[in-house]
Amino acid sequence: MSAVPQGGRRAAVLAQQIRESAQALATLEREFPDNPAAMDYFYKLFHRVYCEGERAQPEGTLVGTTCVQVPDEIVRAAGGIPVRLCSGSHAFDQAGADFMPAKSCSLVKATLGLLQDERPAWLETLDRVVNLTTCDQKKKAGQMMEDLGCQVHHLEFPPSKDSEPARAFWRASVRDFVRAAERMTGGRVTRTSLRESIRAVSRAQAAYRRLQRLRAESPALLLGKDAFLVTNAYFFDDLERWTGAVDALVAELEARREAGVSAALRRAPRILFTGSPPVFPNLKIPVLVEQAGGVIVADETCSANRMLNDAVSVDEWNLYDMVDAVADRYLKPCTCPIFTSNGDRLRRLLDLARTHAVDGVVYQAFAGCQVYEMEHHSVSRALAEAGLPCLYVETDYSPDDVGQLSTRVEAFIESLRSRRRRSR
Amino acid sequence: MKRLRAFVNGVDIQRFRTWFQLFAFVLLVYSGYLYIDLGNSLPVFACGFNDAGRGGVCYLLPLQHQTHIPWESLFSWRALGLVTGFLTFFAWLLVLNKAWCGYVCPLGAIQDWMTALRRRLRLRYSVYSLESFTRLKKVKYILLVLLILIPFAISNPVEGLPHVPEDMATPFCTICPARMVIPAFTGDFSQWTLDFSTVTALVMTSLGMAILGIFFVGALVNKRFFCFFCPMSALQALFSNIALLKLRKDGDKCTRCGDCYRVCDMQIKAIADDVERKILIEDDCMMCLKCVAACPEEGCLKATFMGIPVYEATEEGFFRRQQRRGGE
Repeated sequence: MSAVPQGGRRAAVLAQQIRESAQALATLEREFPDNPAAMDYFYKLFHRVYCEGERAQPEGTLVGTTCVQVPDEIVRAAGGIPVRLCSGSHAFDQAGADFMPAKSCSLVKATLGLLQDERPAWLETLDRVVNLTTCDQKKKAGQMMEDLGCQVHHLEFPPSKDSEPARAFWRASVRDFVRAAERMTGGRVTRTSLRESIRAVSRAQAAYRRLQRLRAESPALLLGKDAFLVTNAYFFDDLERWTGAVDALVAELEARREAGVSAALRRAPRILFTGSPPVFPNLKIPVLVEQAGGVIVADETCSANRMLNDAVSVDEWNLYDMVDAVADRYLKPCTCPIFTSNGDRLRRLLDLARTHAVDGVVYQAFAGCQVYEMEHHSVSRALAEAGLPCLYVETDYSPDDVGQLSTRVEAFIESLRSRRRRSR
Repeated sequence: MKRLRAFVNGVDIQRFRTWFQLFAFVLLVYSGYLYIDLGNSLPVFACGFNDAGRGGVCYLLPLQHQTHIPWESLFSWRALGLVTGFLTFFAWLLVLNKAWCGYVCPLGAIQDWMTALRRRLRLRYSVYSLESFTRLKKVKYILLVLLILIPFAISNPVEGLPHVPEDMATPFCTICPARMVIPAFTGDFSQWTLDFSTVTALVMTSLGMAILGIFFVGALVNKRFFCFFCPMSALQALFSNIALLKLRKDGDKCTRCGDCYRVCDMQIKAIADDVERKILIEDDCMMCLKCVAACPEEGCLKATFMGIPVYEATEEGFFRRQQRRGGE
């Protein structure tokens, strides 16, 4: 890296990040009526972490991960605490432009921007990163993180997932990662520690699934903006506490259902969200959808459903089988568009649409995220065949396009409404 | 009813199966002492050489006797034995389908016990590569054809071809590890011998002893090692589509996470990858239903009996099992 940004500018970036986080939080919390009380935990958590720079997690070595397919269970078993570094901050996105070409993905740029010095207080000491070789931009970002002084493990991911050689390659890669994680944290991955981490993550997933199941009900019990906040918190929250908070939310929503309280009107168009991941504070599109009167009831994104839906299944609770089981879970069900084929992603979308009685799909692609842009055609064709209208939105972290986007989103929601009326 | 169903779907199928297998083992290997006899057309390796304790006999033994008949007799009353034998076998199969292998077969149970031993020793299991798997799985059909053709050839010598010696009358039994393993459970080691009476007998019994050795080593290394080669499994597979117990898959619900495939003792990849077929019983399948237990998707995999679901994949059941079985 040639030019090191000056300290003054860096501090300004951080201040801007805090400002935009506070603003986003205010929108999420105050512009929607009647939020569940259990959501307060999450609003406060985001405020503490994003605005005050507090650390949400217990003592231990933080290990940054840049992809949802990095096996958290192994980091935890080695005594580390995984933190997902994928950032949704426009301020960091701009700062990250020092590294990547202007037309690259906001998320990758923002992650690099975050890792420069003058970070949020709780991330100051983080210097160990696991970078997965998924899309080209993430792949190349690994080297840049090294240049920023991070100790990076380049976890190698295969470009396809269906073949047995790909599976074998990934298993070998994950076995290596066990050693790497131990080196990063100084801990040991043992039979007991891995078993406990698999079970802890499994409990969190069970809680997530209970929440997701409630979202299938009509009228909707939870707004998508809140659901994204919940799954987003999984990036950095204490695992057990997060699970407890989700269970509390589930309990409250069940009580609300009994009392006949819902989060949206029965006739609100139900939306399935897919594509590039909404990450706080960039919940621009979900907020626009719900301000326009739609309700996001399900998603197929790596900041939410893809991160938490699929579970590890162990056959023999010994180290050899647990490690392989973890490896399989992070490859086989993955619907990331980087793979050679996307049949599973299409089937997943159609299944979610069916089980959640979805009226339309919103497809977000970050400008520069080639793989999502490229899958747009096959996805919208499959959705059209299933009779599902799809709104394709190309955007980035900048707030500049909000005006224009809100018109498009409103028109889409309105068209879904009239489509519903006609079909009745 | 709903609660009963939730209870059943939450069951740890492995534990249930272990106890069921033990019960079936005692029934088939020891209940002869109580004069219990389930006949001689059982679709499992209830070895007939276990004279004292057997509670029934493996169908392959009478099948080899019944096909040891001259061509003309096939159209006489003598063929009646063949027909009734087969019909009885078929009736048994109709009920449990391939679950005979997963739940009843004593030789299968022994292999599962060896797997349990290996697991306690914390030794990694090995698997075949997909390529050798595809090649090896044909062996059982070849064995099935041979065990019918050889006895038949003894009774029907063809002019110009060498005679098949009479010692080959039950060719499969002589090389089957069950002939030595199962009687041993009643203290009968008389089968653990080499037969020096003729060259053929010596060759065959030596082969049998060698296979016995391979069986013990193989079953420690590979899950259900022998079952890949089992001609009974091949014979069952020919009719498994019409049996009443079925393994069904709803491909729309499948995320192809591969959890079912990875727990499958028989390495059946189609269970994870095939999202088209509604009924998914591959020829190697033993219907142990581990795949159903390992499936986190609500109602994606299920076992049905005459269309009624008996064991079904549920989210709740899956996550409960993952917590509980961690304690092993």
